[in-house]
Amino acid sequence: MSGVLSAGRIAGLLGLGLSALLPMVLLAIWSVGDRWFYPALWPSRLTAESWRTLLSGEGRLWAAGATSMLLAAGTGAIACIVALPVGRALARLDGWRGHLGAAMTFLPVAAPPVALATGLQFSFLSLGLGGRPIGVLLAHAVPAVAYVSLYFTGVFTGFDTRVEEEARSLGASAGQTFRFITLPLLRRPLAEGFALGFLISWAQMPLTLLIGGGAVRTLPIEVFAFVEAGQDRIAATGALVLLVPALVALAAARLAARGTEVAAL
Amino acid sequence: MGPSPSIPATTLVTLAAFSLAAASCGRAATPPPRDLARIPWDSLAASARGSTVTWRMWRGDPSINAYVDRWVSPRLLQRYGITLNAVEGQGAEIVNQLQVEKEARAGGTADLVWINGETFHQLRQADLLYGPWSGRLPNAAWVDSASPIISRDFEQDPMGYESPWGTVQFALIYDSARTPAPPRSYAELRQWILAHPGRFTHDQGFTGITLLKQLMYALGGGVERFQGGFHEEVYATASERIWRWLEEVRPALWRGGGSYPPGVAELHRLFANGEVDFTMSNNQNEVMTKVAQGIFPETARALLLRDGTIANAHFVGIPANAPNPAGAMVVADFLLSPEAQLEKARSPVWGDGTVLAEERLPGDWATSFAELARNPRALPRDSLARYARPEVDPEYHERLAREWRSRIRRGGS
Amino acid sequence: MALADPARRELKAVRWGLLAAALVASPVVAGVVYSAAAATGLAGFGPHGFSTDRLTRVLGEPAVWESLVWTIRTASLATLLASALAVLVAMTFRRSGRVDKLARTLAVLPLPVPHLVAATTAVLLLAQSGLLSRLGFAAGWLAGPADMPPLVYDRAGLGMVLTLAWKELPFLALVATTLLATRGAALEETARGLGAGPWDTFRLVTWPFLWRGLLPPVVAVLAFAAGSYEAAAMLAPSDPLALPLLTLERYTDPDLARRGDAFVLVLVGLMLTGAAVGLHEWVRYRTTELRG
Repeated sequence: MSGVLSAGRIAGLLGLGLSALLPMVLLAIWSVGDRWFYPALWPSRLTAESWRTLLSGEGRLWAAGATSMLLAAGTGAIACIVALPVGRALARLDGWRGHLGAAMTFLPVAAPPVALATGLQFSFLSLGLGGRPIGVLLAHAVPAVAYVSLYFTGVFTGFDTRVEEEARSLGASAGQTFRFITLPLLRRPLAEGFALGFLISWAQMPLTLLIGGGAVRTLPIEVFAFVEAGQDRIAATGALVLLVPALVALAAARLAARGTEVAAL
Repeated sequence: MGPSPSIPATTLVTLAAFSLAAASCGRAATPPPRDLARIPWDSLAASARGSTVTWRMWRGDPSINAYVDRWVSPRLLQRYGITLNAVEGQGAEIVNQLQVEKEARAGGTADLVWINGETFHQLRQADLLYGPWSGRLPNAAWVDSASPIISRDFEQDPMGYESPWGTVQFALIYDSARTPAPPRSYAELRQWILAHPGRFTHDQGFTGITLLKQLMYALGGGVERFQGGFHEEVYATASERIWRWLEEVRPALWRGGGSYPPGVAELHRLFANGEVDFTMSNNQNEVMTKVAQGIFPETARALLLRDGTIANAHFVGIPANAPNPAGAMVVADFLLSPEAQLEKARSPVWGDGTVLAEERLPGDWATSFAELARNPRALPRDSLARYARPEVDPEYHERLAREWRSRIRRGGS
Repeated sequence: MALADPARRELKAVRWGLLAAALVASPVVAGVVYSAAAATGLAGFGPHGFSTDRLTRVLGEPAVWESLVWTIRTASLATLLASALAVLVAMTFRRSGRVDKLARTLAVLPLPVPHLVAATTAVLLLAQSGLLSRLGFAAGWLAGPADMPPLVYDRAGLGMVLTLAWKELPFLALVATTLLATRGAALEETARGLGAGPWDTFRLVTWPFLWRGLLPPVVAVLAFAAGSYEAAAMLAPSDPLALPLLTLERYTDPDLARRGDAFVLVLVGLMLTGAAVGLHEWVRYRTTELRG
């Protein structure tokens, strides 16, 4: 019995490993492959051309990567700043009101991006935000704030407010309590919230396309454009670049989570 | 004094203030450009010095991008002091963007747009283009306006609202190694499809519908029947024939005609990897650039059908709400210069046909054009000319697209 | 320093909480309002005054319903597959050894992979001339691309189901693992202590709290999958057309008057989201509040 189980576990482990790593390996090969046609299992030629262009800083991928980085960092920051108090307020809601609040917060997260973007395009353009990075930033903030709010709601549910109450009863002002008591306790959730907001903006496509109007070029937009144009090699390079910061953000969040109950994972 | 709702309060206030600030920073709708036609060209060009021109164009081909980014852009900066900002944008996106900008009374973001046909039609209908302006470009004098391909955009008279940039002609693409004896007419194509089930298809996009439009010319008795505006009865008869033709070959199409690749890039992939034996392009020279890029096998070749293939010109236009129309005109003029047109026509660069009347050009330009390195893969110019057919009213394309979707694709009308 | 009357604090907290939630949800509401206006002719391309014609026309098209059904069906299959695998992974690798930790990390690793990247790789892998097919050819099982069963652009949407499931698995595995680690252990100990065998423990103790804990994220994930544009753009067939693709196609229709149709579809999409979110929260309400 245990023999079968172990065999199953090994098989499962291999399957998981393959599923997690194969895409990255494939993309890596595709990014340097030249003339790779069926039925060849390996490109007939290898070329570092797309990587060279990328790293030389002159390609569209480089500029798009920078734009994505700035937008994602901005989104992460906005998401944290706004979601923290929102999450806290939501956590205080009990019973059905709490669930109602959570449902409302969840709407921007679950809404199909195409639907959301189409619905928002008019309002954003009237506000003069169309085709500009600030507009795209605010557009990304919509699902990000919601997502991170839900996260902070979880953080603040069961958050022990006794320390804060003691500080207040000892005479500290609200601001002081926040800065010296609450904030240090929230270092890890803030890091994770930032990572969440970052990732949402980083991978976003329909919102950027419809609000940015093609003028704001983020990495996913460029990768998609190259895929649509049949330029697989460049698209694969872009896709790998798209992947790396996302993995880094995830690793950082998990490292930050070590030593807590979430580290059961 | 309780533990604070002051945190949510201050944040909400900040957020509101921020949105207001962002809104007030929003660009106010720019007033319509002054009548630049009154200003002499030199002053116009001088006024554009030091400005930025945002050009929305299709950026899906690295060769075209290289031409624009690495050849056109530096020269514009050097000679005219204009910074060119080429960004992605095609057809429907551009129309939507301009439409919503107009509705929202927002400022414009694009100065120059790369368009033709349908897009031009929609933009004109919705009054979204600035103009007329193209006639006053100095280099417009060299344009071959006698050519029906260039002087009409899908049968519409540009009337100065767009300036021609290049010409292309539709061609099928095949692999001479796999298909040594390709079909040369629609009738032969039909035989070929039936004899080789599962080896032919077309995409759902513009290129695929262009193929059907050419089929319409062939089955409808020639392009002349379709000229002079859209005629419902002519269309109705011809389209019935097209649907019948397609239904006949449907079982022999790729995937039994039940699924079609979303765009021409996917079709290219199917072709390159041997899932189908043909692909197609609106540009007869695309096969050469794709072979050079390693996307097509080296034995790929372009093919014209004896029934004729559609040749058309593509243009640049200026949106009505363009922030920098003067700069856009300078760019358009440079694009028309013999120098820029010659470079663009070179096969390794782009291979896009010129809109200039070569014989009328001064000096050695005429010879330079004639001497363009003949790539053995390129289609001979006389064949191109012989089989060229003009575009017709854009309504034909729109109707074909819509009805193909509801009758043949049945996907979502 | 006296703290304010608890009842008033409570009321204030409720007001601020709901206000905050409303603020976050406001863009969606704005989107719904504008789409409703555009769908009924009050706004959007060529407003002609209020009329429900467009609504009735679009909602009366069989193609629209086929698209909707197909989209939900594909998303459901993917979610079912991902949920089953997530439970399997969580149960198989629940111990604290190195192998288990490694397996759990690998399972969660694809979490931040953007949909776009997943879909692109899927095409390269699963196309009839893709890598899998080439391996089959090399092994002598397939004679050509046509022998490979179609997994992309296929009516059954298999490639899309696999890709969506692949993308959903990390999140569901994360939730399942957390559930087992936090709530599972104690309950199972008790059951074992009472003499229940492993299968009975699973059936009567583990599975009930697993599925209850998983249901809300499953509903959420279902909503995501149904709204995924990138996966559909690269993998979906042309008939029926996936809902995000249909929406975008109408939005970019050459006939300007028909572009308003897209807003009807947007409304449908947003309403489905609303329903999914409502369901999600209702289930959570039932499973948490009623457990006492």
